[in-house]
Amino acid sequence: MKAYPTLSVISVVLALSWPRLHAGELTLTNRQHSCCSKGESAGAFTDKSLYQVGSRWTTDAGKEIKLGALRGRPQVVAMFFANCQYACPLIVNDMQQMEAALTAAQRARVGFTLVSFDPKRDTAEALAEYRKVRNLAAGRWTLLRGEPDDVQELAALLGVRYKQDARGQFAHSNVITVLNADGEIVRQQIGLSQDIQETVRVLARLVGD
Amino acid sequence: MKSNRIRFLLLLATCWVCVSAAGACAASNVPPGMVAITGGVFRPLFVSPTDPKQFPVPSFCLDALPVTNGDFLEFVRANPDWQRSRVKRLFADEWYLKNWAGDVALGTNAPPAAPVTFVSWFAARAYALWKGKRLPTTAEWELAAAAGTTGPDGKQDTEFQRQLQSWYSSPSGKLGNVGAGHPNYWGVYDLHGLVWEWVADFSTAMVTGDARADSELDRRLFCGSGAVGARDLTDYAAFMRYGFRSSLKADYCIHNLGFRCAKDL
Repeated sequence: MKAYPTLSVISVVLALSWPRLHAGELTLTNRQHSCCSKGESAGAFTDKSLYQVGSRWTTDAGKEIKLGALRGRPQVVAMFFANCQYACPLIVNDMQQMEAALTAAQRARVGFTLVSFDPKRDTAEALAEYRKVRNLAAGRWTLLRGEPDDVQELAALLGVRYKQDARGQFAHSNVITVLNADGEIVRQQIGLSQDIQETVRVLARLVGD
Repeated sequence: MKSNRIRFLLLLATCWVCVSAAGACAASNVPPGMVAITGGVFRPLFVSPTDPKQFPVPSFCLDALPVTNGDFLEFVRANPDWQRSRVKRLFADEWYLKNWAGDVALGTNAPPAAPVTFVSWFAARAYALWKGKRLPTTAEWELAAAAGTTGPDGKQDTEFQRQLQSWYSSPSGKLGNVGAGHPNYWGVYDLHGLVWEWVADFSTAMVTGDARADSELDRRLFCGSGAVGARDLTDYAAFMRYGFRSSLKADYCIHNLGFRCAKDL
């Protein structure tokens, strides 16, 4: 019984925010159809390109890049941290299954990017070690770390919610995002161990046969 | 006896001076328009079993007033990329500054002294950065907003609680000017009663200590049983804010959502 006032309060919030949530869904639907540019593209980034952000990131090879460096081929992007015991190995596993489900020709035209929540522990060296342990192909997989503020911004762009707990672990939502060659979100797979087939189909459509 | 009493009064006076001096010291670093909030303890509404029930928040500076349309107009004049017709869709949805008359014109629906609304988290963050400030964290905002008019803990203030609930339960109409009401204990205006405000880490709401699928979190937080894990079932306003933050995305621009800035002390 005690919970009822709370429930009604929360339903008020949901009711108030419903029109906006609805608008948000529409936006996402639009995004899903705003894709389809293939291959290299030059000039300014599009209005919905994530590559517009100015933040600087460090790869596991210690190289400094902007996200715009990923432009030119579709990217499968997820946020993770190397010390993650439960969800992240499953996310990376899903991404590797997508990689395996593509033909060799398609695989060569797709990139996979992991961005760490945990810049403190995930140094370039730690990320290099992670690449080795997880057997992530050089040239195809990009592993990045950045400043906490920039991580927060990227998470906001990807719609990833996260929070560090007292033990230093990160609670986070599990989202795998497909960016087209211009860096626009074309698909998001939410939740763990989902059926990867639809995402694979989207990738195949982006890069051709 | 008499001298004891005098000594006691002297001691009191000394304490008073010490306290005011400490306040004055901090105040010397406080930029104009901001007030110092003395650090304290934040007790999150939801915590995972492994998390501490409360954690310390260091002292910080907070804008005394929400950012106004007039303030934001200055910002977009100096940063044309943030004008309505030029903003990148990535950083603000199509509702961005919807109530303004034009790119650099406020018009009748956006009085200069009213709080700016229809701004995304990205826009709020860019404004704060431009000002050499930042957005407050949830912990900071909640700490400042917990104060009543007479003390740092408004929980004990039944009149304050009543006003709070009456605002949170009434629909938002036309927005008044900032600073029209009474300041709280810290000298901060309009934390309640005018608009909702962005916080830097709004996206931590909705996530507990469990890194499993979102749907499970939904169930845990929004079913009746979810409330049992909450710190204080009577803190309706905190539930409202938690629920609201959980429903936000960073590009949303909403008619009753504005912001103010914070800064390290």
